Amino acid sequence: MRSVVFVTFGFAALAIFGPMISPYDPTQIDIPNRLSAPNAQAWLGTDALGRDILSRLLHGARWSLGLAFVISVVGLCIGTLVGLLAALGGKVTDWVVMRTTDTFLAFPELVAAVVIAGLLGAGTSSLIFALTVTSWMRYARVARAIGLSVKTRGYVVQARLVGLSPIAIARWHYLPSLLPSLTVVWTGMFARAILGISTLGFLGFGVQPPMPEWGTMLLDARIHMRSTPLQMIWPGLAVVICVLAINLSGDALRDALAEQDRQA
Amino acid sequence: MIPFFAGLLLRAVVVLSGTALATFALLWHAPGDPALAIALARYNAIVPADVIDLVRIEAGIDAGFWPAFKAWIAPLLRGDLGQSSVTGRDVWPELVTAVSYTVPLALTALLIGLMLSLPLAFLATRRPGSWLDRGTVAIASIGVAIPAFWLGLLLILLFAVQLGWLPAMGARTTAHIILPALTLGLGVAASLTRILRSGILEARGQPFLPAFRRRGVAARDIGRDHIAPHAAIPFVTVFGLELAFLLEGIVVVEVIFARPGLASFLVGAIGARDFPKVQAVVLVTAIVFVVVNLLIDMIYRSLDPRIADPHA
Amino acid sequence: MLEVTQVSVRRGSAVTLRDVSLSLASGRTLAVVGESGAGKSTLINAILGLVPCAAGCVTWNGAPVRNCRPALVMQEPRNAFNPRMSLRRSVMEPVQAQGAEVELDRLERLCAGLEIAPGLLDRRPTEVSIGQAQRAGILRALIAAPPLVLFDEPLSALDAVTQKHTARLIAQMQQDEGFAALIVTHDLGYAAAFADDIAVLRAGRVEELTPARDFVEAPATAYGQRLRDAAFALGALERVA
Repeated sequence: MRSVVFVTFGFAALAIFGPMISPYDPTQIDIPNRLSAPNAQAWLGTDALGRDILSRLLHGARWSLGLAFVISVVGLCIGTLVGLLAALGGKVTDWVVMRTTDTFLAFPELVAAVVIAGLLGAGTSSLIFALTVTSWMRYARVARAIGLSVKTRGYVVQARLVGLSPIAIARWHYLPSLLPSLTVVWTGMFARAILGISTLGFLGFGVQPPMPEWGTMLLDARIHMRSTPLQMIWPGLAVVICVLAINLSGDALRDALAEQDRQA
Repeated sequence: MIPFFAGLLLRAVVVLSGTALATFALLWHAPGDPALAIALARYNAIVPADVIDLVRIEAGIDAGFWPAFKAWIAPLLRGDLGQSSVTGRDVWPELVTAVSYTVPLALTALLIGLMLSLPLAFLATRRPGSWLDRGTVAIASIGVAIPAFWLGLLLILLFAVQLGWLPAMGARTTAHIILPALTLGLGVAASLTRILRSGILEARGQPFLPAFRRRGVAARDIGRDHIAPHAAIPFVTVFGLELAFLLEGIVVVEVIFARPGLASFLVGAIGARDFPKVQAVVLVTAIVFVVVNLLIDMIYRSLDPRIADPHA
Repeated sequence: MLEVTQVSVRRGSAVTLRDVSLSLASGRTLAVVGESGAGKSTLINAILGLVPCAAGCVTWNGAPVRNCRPALVMQEPRNAFNPRMSLRRSVMEPVQAQGAEVELDRLERLCAGLEIAPGLLDRRPTEVSIGQAQRAGILRALIAAPPLVLFDEPLSALDAVTQKHTARLIAQMQQDEGFAALIVTHDLGYAAAFADDIAVLRAGRVEELTPARDFVEAPATAYGQRLRDAAFALGALERVA
């Protein structure tokens, strides 16, 4: 759990403070110096419009990571509420909710996001909508499973019996059981969101220029592949490192939880 | 058994209906005037308002939501995918052509993935915890984190631009399939390796296995008769998951390598607001997906009767 | 005074309780015995309002039984407590749920009566023995001073020595606090020793309702006799000399 928090805070720090330490304005165009290789002024070189790549990377963190965080957290809230609704709402509600969830899951998420973002028009809000709508379901499944198992526990029956308010029951008796597993799911979804944002950006459906999102940077870089191939490496590398970090901490968390379960 | 399968079937039908409804709702709510976009794409010029209205009626956009939905879904249920609202040509044959490019790519990628992951997972699990095992896990973990579009670009950079060994863009020759398939296949191999490995290790730990060994059943027979079916279960799940992974990867790969195929078909249609084409892709994909998952659920049940609901 | 009047409970198409009537006054103990599946737990759920009654009603002093806030002691103390909360927090829940303050001397008195050591409540449920956890469960049931306490197989999870000890503590608590006790148990020995009346449940029906003393000597029904004889044979019941 600690590594997850650590990584999340690391990302947050990058997203918040990155732009402050960036040497240049990421949108500042400088045609005479375009497409330069890494040098003393621009550590990672400049892109086709002369913009400093390092600065764009640092500012881009806000989009690629920050947006991913927002999307994954919104998905978490929606999915958990839906899952709990299914678990606690009675058989009919359960069936209806789960079939709805299945419907959303019936389609590869990225393709759906592409279709949604594409049809709703390019831009950040379509991106957020598309990625959120295609990601809440996994949380719902997990929340429902845990909700169902906690529902029958003795202490929940006792809490209902003594008249504890539903909010208090949710807060003290359901949440502690939900949090570990949901966090594991969240790390995976955070990674998927990062990949989703950059993929949609790469396809031109996401964050629009001149915003320095890592995927759109790759799109720009691709055009100049022959002249400055190095340009393609950096944004992709940024994505890989972030996704790897969150995946590894998520794995560590999952293993730690499994160990805990085994001992209990 | 029968009521269980009937339940699965009902579920599939409900899910497909929901998908159809959601698709239509999306098309309905897409901003901008679709008639305008279609007219622009078709005539390649700014058209007067009455022509746009004609286009609107022709494309069936005029009526309210539910009547339009009924009108929309009727031909689809008959299997009639309609005509492109941009080119006026039938959608079905163009869809088939697109698929004929995509399917070989997907299959080749799957093959590459299997050829890499099966032996690797096998070797890694022979001695769990060994250097080979840990190295495999490490590489596979990194592999899953690498986005397909980056890997594709890197491969193009290396093999096409720098080394000039393999072609990159288009689908002219058979050689053109290598880099795209490799891009996808490596990703598939990475996730398959991880899952196969844990599936084998878990199957090995099954409580009834020591009893067989004590009775002197040969190791090979144990592997074949008892470990394999158990390891097969997560494998089957994974197959369903990999299908999703492949479909998503294909979107990216076809764009990078400028290959004609389902993804280019889809992305192009979205851009041109060619709704009949977009919905054709969405619905066909949904059907394939639902059917594949249905089959997987049924296979699950026959492999392990203990499992009542694989989604639970 | 608890009045259960012709309560029937349905589960799907099956009838799990059929026309059950009984009454219980303050300070008295009623033991509900019977085979597994006879409907004992369903009876508890019906009284507490956890399952709906298809027919009949349950009242305390004429008002719906929920109003007197009856308490429940469960069979499995490990299941009955949130493993992530200290026992103290769980024990206080009934009082805090009503928005009231916990009277610390009451807590102390009850702890003394239930032989709960001072530091025990600060531990988690998994860190104490089953006997201690069960006594904490009783403490939680009594903390808000309910007039009616239901016990669902309160001794079944305990070993023989702890059973006797806990049974005596329950009886003592009842004397001190004066609540009405309805104890569901399959242990006829326990029922005979500690209850005032015994109700025999069979296939959802009340087979007989007899004062405990009389039940040991002469059960009113043939089925009651069979139960009693089986208990004799197992040594669970001592013959009256």
